[in-house]
Amino acid sequence: MFSAVSSGFLSRRGVLVLLLLALLAALATGALAQTKDSSGKRLEAIRAEMDKGQGLYLAGNYAGAAEVFEAGYAAYPYSAFLFNAGVCYQKQNDFDRALAKFNEYVKVDPNAPDLDKVKQRISSLEAAKAAAVAAAPVGDAGVAADAGAPAPVSVPSGDEQNSMKSLVVIETEPDGAPFRVYQRLDPNAQRFTLGPTSANPGWKEVVAARAPANLTLDVGQYHVVVERFRDFNESEAEMAVTAGHVHQLKANLSQGQFMAFLRVTSNVLGAHVWIDDKKKTRPLWGDTPHGELVPGGKHEVLVEAPGFEPFLSSVELEHGEQKQLEVHMVRVNYGVLRIDASAPEVKIRIDEQLKGVWKSGSEPFDVRFDSGNHKLTIEGEGRKTFEGTIVVPRGQILPLHAQMIPKYPRGPAWSQAIIGAAFLGAAIYAGSESNRMYDQLQHDRESGNLESSDSRATRGKWFAIGADAGFVLAGVLGGLSTYNFIKDPLPESSVKPGKLLEFDDPMKARPVALRAPPSPSLPNAIAAERAPRFELTPSATSTGGGLLLGGRF
Amino acid sequence: MRASSLQLARLARLGCLALGASACSWSRFEDVTQDSPVVLFERPSYMNDGFGVSLSTATNQGQSEVLVGGTTNISAAALYDIGDEDSPGTTAIDRYCAGDDQACFLSSLTAGFANATGPDHSRPLCFAVGTGTVSGGPIKSGLVVRCQDTTEYALGMPRAAQDLLAIAIAQNKPHDHPLATDRADEPVLLASLPDEQLAWFYPAQSTQFSELVLPDGAQKNDPSFGRSLAVLAVDGGRVLALGVPGKSQVYLWKTDGSANSSYIGCLGGSDGVGRALAAGRVDRDGNDDLLVSDASTVRVIDGAVLFQLPPTASTECSFSFLPPGASLGSFGCGSTSSLTGCEESEFGAALAVADLDGDGDGEVIVGAPKMTVRDHQNAGALLIYDAESSSDAALVDAKFISSAEDGDELGRSIVTPHLAKRDIIAAGAPGNGKAALFYCSALLPHGAAGSRCP
Repeated sequence: MFSAVSSGFLSRRGVLVLLLLALLAALATGALAQTKDSSGKRLEAIRAEMDKGQGLYLAGNYAGAAEVFEAGYAAYPYSAFLFNAGVCYQKQNDFDRALAKFNEYVKVDPNAPDLDKVKQRISSLEAAKAAAVAAAPVGDAGVAADAGAPAPVSVPSGDEQNSMKSLVVIETEPDGAPFRVYQRLDPNAQRFTLGPTSANPGWKEVVAARAPANLTLDVGQYHVVVERFRDFNESEAEMAVTAGHVHQLKANLSQGQFMAFLRVTSNVLGAHVWIDDKKKTRPLWGDTPHGELVPGGKHEVLVEAPGFEPFLSSVELEHGEQKQLEVHMVRVNYGVLRIDASAPEVKIRIDEQLKGVWKSGSEPFDVRFDSGNHKLTIEGEGRKTFEGTIVVPRGQILPLHAQMIPKYPRGPAWSQAIIGAAFLGAAIYAGSESNRMYDQLQHDRESGNLESSDSRATRGKWFAIGADAGFVLAGVLGGLSTYNFIKDPLPESSVKPGKLLEFDDPMKARPVALRAPPSPSLPNAIAAERAPRFELTPSATSTGGGLLLGGRF
Repeated sequence: MRASSLQLARLARLGCLALGASACSWSRFEDVTQDSPVVLFERPSYMNDGFGVSLSTATNQGQSEVLVGGTTNISAAALYDIGDEDSPGTTAIDRYCAGDDQACFLSSLTAGFANATGPDHSRPLCFAVGTGTVSGGPIKSGLVVRCQDTTEYALGMPRAAQDLLAIAIAQNKPHDHPLATDRADEPVLLASLPDEQLAWFYPAQSTQFSELVLPDGAQKNDPSFGRSLAVLAVDGGRVLALGVPGKSQVYLWKTDGSANSSYIGCLGGSDGVGRALAAGRVDRDGNDDLLVSDASTVRVIDGAVLFQLPPTASTECSFSFLPPGASLGSFGCGSTSSLTGCEESEFGAALAVADLDGDGDGEVIVGAPKMTVRDHQNAGALLIYDAESSSDAALVDAKFISSAEDGDELGRSIVTPHLAKRDIIAAGAPGNGKAALFYCSALLPHGAAGSRCP
């Protein structure tokens, strides 16, 4: 499966070969990173399915949980899914389907460490089923009184959560190392010790296999021992298996230690995670939810997502420890308004400040602003101005399409107003002239000089009539003008908000990055589905240095 | 009709108030001109020339008439009945010298009679209008008198005048015969013939003339001789005044009511004396007083004092021979905000006395036909003075036509018809053919003069 080349001294030809090999190694490393990345995603998908089923199960939605487990098995044929589906059916007293799942579990995983227990469970279920059939009351017509609801029977099962099984993936670096898994049966048992003289009472060996391997294990405390392999010493690790989960354990034999497993989840799917790389100089570690084996010790975890405040935290991991870091990301306190309009050109003001001009045919106008309520004003030539309060979201883009309604033409209103004003002015003039003449006539009358046919009386009368007519016309035109100024059958300009969008993610535009160090191999079942890969590993011995080239085909 | 008009007016006012314009009611113009204080006589179609050149009035038993004459010698005259209250007839009720079958030459000064003694008996409300021929009566030509009952008769004139009239009739070359009467019930008629420097009078209740004789040495040879005349009714007789404005002289006679007369003196000494003369009761002594105007002043001379003057043969013309107390006052031209142009106003072109406020004494009314009224050149005005004051500040009122036009020349002729309790003013504006009645005066107490006055 692996081939290795070693060379103490390098000739010219050797140098060429070395360069060629280095090139091949680079290509292979890329392919390997891709493979590892896809394997990691697969394992994460398996983990998601398992967690989802477990969540439904704990919520009492056994039917839903059974569906999830069934689907999980269909996609990822690991026996833990079968067992858990069986448990769900059993919880629903669906003996037939429960028995079918348990029987299939025994069939597909004949070496399961709990094979005997499962077989006993099958027997118990069959007995319970028979008892249930016998206990069912029969009516006059020989039909069950309540055919739709089987009679409750005592089902031989333990604690509800403990009855679920988990998938455990055990890997070694390099592959192929033999290992044993011991289960603590006695809760008061001493800590497992490694050595030929150690009896380890209360512990029982449940699995002996070679890595990589995936196991279906009950909930409990386990101790994993990787035996001496090649030049590598033994190594061991404690492992606590919880119900309905996927556990991954990997031993780096060169270091003689098990790697720790870190899983980072967040309330934002796809948040980018960097490990020990605050400055983000290396390719990202993964996107949430993402779990991966990491060396034991202290690690800095940086999680970022567009529209969210960056999250930075330290995580301390023991060797072989499995830890999940749940990150609650908080959105940034600003948002973006993405504005376009149904007008050739609009001016956009926020809180009375001009922010820019959008023109038809151009991309929507993005305005970044503090989240919260803001006054938005959109003005367009010949269009009704939109004014309104808009809520800028936190860390999101709010598309806004401004429906700019043309202004209702006011030409007739202005004409009427101007003519009305002219009439009013003429009426005022005529009225004042009429007044003046009347005052003169009155004065002349009082002074005894007024003559009855005084032409001012006639002129004053006509001025008065003109003033009356002018006032009436001015009033009518003023009323018409006012009405036509107020009248506006067209709706106001409006803004139609679109569906909130997330910030653009620049990481999505990045090329798939090379990962270093190279990804470890995945468990058998996963590895069997992987694409061929190459590996180029530097090697140094006491007699010289070289490169190890390996590959899977 | 009137009620519906008022309703419309009220509606208009309401509408105006609603519109915030208080001035747009047109009906108020009808209200303000209703019963206006100045009434124009309607000019008859046969008076196309100089309507208002002369005026005369006569009052009898509360009825007053006004005769409006046109251009001397060539026009006619129209008679108007103005009643005794404030509702005058403005349409002519009779016409004189209107070019009918008889020759008639209108005088520049006509004269009214409360009662006129004709050839057979006395008649009320008659007017001596000029010379000419008449169809009735014993005298066929002479001074023509026409009465309310349309009776016409002629009064005989001195031989020279009669001869001249005959020639005038024959050749249609008339000569002016200015005339004047007093306001007594049986007035004395004074006549002159300027072209022959003749003057004569007809005693009360007489149709026989009596010539006025000037003393030797009197400079009467002037065409203006007798252009102005006045007859003062005083206790014991009459004072006759004859103006010769061309020589700035006014000759005075007195008569005791018979045909006899005696020359009592000549007024003069300032330019234009005698431009116009008028008689009326200025003070309260019951006697007429004499108004004399010159180029710039109007003097008032007590008629009773004049009547007391002894006959004289002096031909010196001055005011200095008058005894103390003879002068009741003198007035110069006065301006107001509406009236300007005193210097060229021909102040004193016509004079009259009227008891406008009915208090028993008279106010002096002076015509200024060339006065400017509200920028209307030569529109003319009447200036009213309180004779009880002798200062220029005695200008108490000024009358003009509110519809004055350029060239009206209001004040070219003035008379003061008597109504029931007071006198009013009639004035001619011949420049544009107008003659008007002025019913109101600033001297009238508020509300005491009917609907025409405030």
